[in-house]
Amino acid sequence: MTTRPLPAVTSLAEDLPGWLPGQRWFAAKGQDVASVRVERAALLVDGDPALLHTLLDADGERYQLLLGLTDEVPDHLRAAVIGRLADGSYAYDATHDAELMGGLLELFAEHSAAGGLDWLPEPGVHIQTGLRARPVGVEQSNTSIVFGEHYILKLYRRPAPGPNRDVELHRALVRAGSAQVAEPVAVVRAEGTVLGFAQRYLGDSAEGWATATASVRDLLAEADLHAGEVGGDFAGEAHRLGAAVAAVHADLAAALGVATAGQAEMAAGADGMHARLDAALAQVPALAKREGVLRAAFDAVRELPGTSVQQVHGDLHLGQVLRTTGGWVLIDFEGEPDAPVAERNRTRSALRDVAGMLRSFDYAALHMLAGEEPDHQRLTRAAEWADRNRAAFCAGYATVGTDPRADSVLLRAFELDKAVYEVGYEHRNRPDWVPIPLAAIDRATAAG
Amino acid sequence: MTVQDTTAPDAALGLAGIPHTGEAVTADGHLTEPQAEDFHHARSAPPQVDWYKSAVFYEVLVRAFNDSDGNGTGDLRGLADKLDYLQWLGIDCLWLPPFYASPLRDGGYDISDFRAVLPEFGTVDDFSYLLDQAHKRGIRVITDLVLNHTSDAHPWFQESRQHPDGPYGDYYVWSDTDEAYSDARIIFVDTETSNWTYDPVRGQFYWHRFFSHQPDLNYENPAVQDAMLDVLRFWLDIGIDGFRLDAVPYLFEEEGTNCENLPRTHEFLKRCRKVVDDEFPGRVLLAEANQWPADVVEYFGDASIGGDECHMAFHFPLMPRIFMAVRRESRFPISEILAQTPAIPAGAQWGIFLRNHDELTLEMVTDEERDYMYAEYAKDPRMKANIGIRRRLAPLLDNDRNQQELFTALLLSLPGSPVLYYGDEIGMGDNIWLGDRDAVRTPMQWSPDRNAGFSRCDPGRLYLPAIADPVYGFQAVNVEAHMNNTSSLLHWTRRMLQVRTEHPAFGLGDFTELGSSNPSVLAYLRRHGEDVVICVNNLSRFPQPVELHLSEHDGCIPVELTGGVRFPAIGELPYLLTLPGHGFYWFQITRPLEEGEPQ
Repeated sequence: MTTRPLPAVTSLAEDLPGWLPGQRWFAAKGQDVASVRVERAALLVDGDPALLHTLLDADGERYQLLLGLTDEVPDHLRAAVIGRLADGSYAYDATHDAELMGGLLELFAEHSAAGGLDWLPEPGVHIQTGLRARPVGVEQSNTSIVFGEHYILKLYRRPAPGPNRDVELHRALVRAGSAQVAEPVAVVRAEGTVLGFAQRYLGDSAEGWATATASVRDLLAEADLHAGEVGGDFAGEAHRLGAAVAAVHADLAAALGVATAGQAEMAAGADGMHARLDAALAQVPALAKREGVLRAAFDAVRELPGTSVQQVHGDLHLGQVLRTTGGWVLIDFEGEPDAPVAERNRTRSALRDVAGMLRSFDYAALHMLAGEEPDHQRLTRAAEWADRNRAAFCAGYATVGTDPRADSVLLRAFELDKAVYEVGYEHRNRPDWVPIPLAAIDRATAAG
Repeated sequence: MTVQDTTAPDAALGLAGIPHTGEAVTADGHLTEPQAEDFHHARSAPPQVDWYKSAVFYEVLVRAFNDSDGNGTGDLRGLADKLDYLQWLGIDCLWLPPFYASPLRDGGYDISDFRAVLPEFGTVDDFSYLLDQAHKRGIRVITDLVLNHTSDAHPWFQESRQHPDGPYGDYYVWSDTDEAYSDARIIFVDTETSNWTYDPVRGQFYWHRFFSHQPDLNYENPAVQDAMLDVLRFWLDIGIDGFRLDAVPYLFEEEGTNCENLPRTHEFLKRCRKVVDDEFPGRVLLAEANQWPADVVEYFGDASIGGDECHMAFHFPLMPRIFMAVRRESRFPISEILAQTPAIPAGAQWGIFLRNHDELTLEMVTDEERDYMYAEYAKDPRMKANIGIRRRLAPLLDNDRNQQELFTALLLSLPGSPVLYYGDEIGMGDNIWLGDRDAVRTPMQWSPDRNAGFSRCDPGRLYLPAIADPVYGFQAVNVEAHMNNTSSLLHWTRRMLQVRTEHPAFGLGDFTELGSSNPSVLAYLRRHGEDVVICVNNLSRFPQPVELHLSEHDGCIPVELTGGVRFPAIGELPYLLTLPGHGFYWFQITRPLEEGEPQ
């Protein structure tokens, strides 16, 4: 097998342009790849199969890839094959290979320098080896591997140099004694770039979205009961979730500080909202008749004297929270998915997170109705669910932090800003869903 | 003192001519008490170590089960006549609430003679007959014993109030004032204003944690401790298999404490346990302490020697959370309480239940959850009692067969020994228009005949009317009808009990929750040695998929336990199951057939 990895996989550069766009984590969705260059390739595990770590440059975007190399591909890995190397062996996406992935734990346990990478357990953590590995199949931008019931390793598909926000915020929260995050156990780095981040696996957890939509399903199966009357009422959970989010905000503030954004920053924030609205208006004609009220809501932010800003989650919604037997846990502190690193690292108002969650409750309430003939009864009842749980979330938040509803101008602007983004997104991807954010805009602006 | 009290307990309680405490008084003022050797002794139950860990218990009210003499009230002989039914059903142990002599001001928990049976139930010899017949069928019997207090009609109390200097003068907690132990809460806030009541006969106050007609025994007095240990020995000699010890946290008082769970209370329980271990091995003590599991484990005693107080304790908070989880369609109410339940000593076991003779207790849930439970399960205010809901299982679940099966499957498969409540196996209803907790204490429904086949008496003479409404009435819901229909809840329950008996994992196995991404599905693994059982429960009324991570059992075959159907082999990938609304599966995990193995 190969001992000089880089030349050996250079030939793969021909197969990768065809393969990359088919991957879920590929960034430039729907676009072709002109050229792929293997930037770095290093052997992690020798033998057959061998495990290779590679960084690619695909039209200027950097991707991380773990390659398995073998002379004979077992049946269950056939679908993962990318192509053949010059020496006749096959290269495949190794994250599908449970055995190769299981070996990664040993690299961590040994504090290995395999492949010229640093495999570093967090201080005081003893990594248990010999656990079964399995890939988690559902992520968008990264790939995660679960080891036994113990650890989950997130491989960043597009690793960025410099401090990794996800890792840093997790560490800060754990140092602050937060019970609302999964404990970090190890990182793997190349020079200054974090390539992978392992945490304690919360095997007993269920995703917030699944938990909330179970409640909505229960509500809509009844003909006329109100959201507070049906068995699957979610308000208790929403209340606890609000308290958990507030606790995370408090811990982040205590650990990493709070600053005050003055009027200039508020104005800049409002400008940003207007700019995003401009972009959406250009695409979605239905927004035009709401332009006036939206702009008024954004302009109201300019009038505010200022607000406190801090590190926040940055991309909070029901899919970023897990219900465990010990309570709610927040995951994925990478920040806004499509924003540049500097933008993600900025401090911002904690109400951004609250707004994200409030919008998510709205989505959870209405997702079953998307694409249906509008039915006033069902819409009203779904909206009632959203209102009830949004209120419970805010009330729960208020048990730990300040009631977010006290800052109504800013909260409303953040929600509307988010809804404008959603309109644009749904217009491009799921036209049936456009009415969800549109209705939210109408409700919010009619009310105030 | 010359006061001759009018409460002459023996005469008042119809014990004339029957052996009872205080039939005679010795020269030094001691009451003579019946001795075990005066009565028949039951044959022993088949010896079995740790039987209580895998036993299925069945709570039955003597009054409510079967009336042998036609006086409208069930009795011990009547119960004995129905043992064949209980054996057929697959019950391992009967739990009888108190059947002692009592003025019945607290459902028999106000005991006026520990060594006599309430006359309307029969005699000590009738009990001995019941026990003998039960043991003959491999069924054990335990009963309640109230250690903390007696009825004020108990001859001990009568002696104590009348002869402060006599041998019983110090049997109760007397004080010149009502000021001591002021940190102890009042339990029955609806009826009592103080834990002290003034007794005009003795001219002092006596201490009572429950009703004022139930004076607390004074465990500071060694004679009281010895007397109560002798009560244990009396029934253990006759052959009883154990006791459910009622209200155990309150035996001792100490100034400056809340007088609950005190160290000396535990010391006395260790003495009780020692009597059982040394003199009556194989019998059990079951603690009733309605507290959080982390506090209740104290009543198992020293874990390093496998436990040296009670063998069993009820797990109270689990039950309301099962109801809540199914209503919420979320496993978390159950997952949380099980995660908060500490490990128990090697020789210990939980007792778990869905319903019993008390209301569905809601002390172990938050206020918010309690409001919710009231709203969901007690729509009519009369359905509520104290801090709970006075309903039977079937009406609590809107008579939905699927839910009754799901709840029973949970009861039979969660960690702990299940306690069934009489009548729930046929889906009996309740009568919320009856007073107190009588709603769930109506006569067992045996047949569509007069009085549900419970008694031959005039219907008006029944201790409580049989349920006669169109849905749950005995015309439709009765053992005979269920027996004649193999798809009935009764037959289903019996089959499930058989399955449970065949798999030691249910009783003896450890418990691991199998997380899943679906919050409506509760899945867990029970393992005892080679016996590995996986239980998957859909708490939602809608069909649900679930992916279980079972790759530890890669290559094994799940075999469904009620039908023996072999499911597809477990592989590396998550194991996908789909469950109907409120559906559940029990699987045994078996190794695959070897090549060439005869089939």
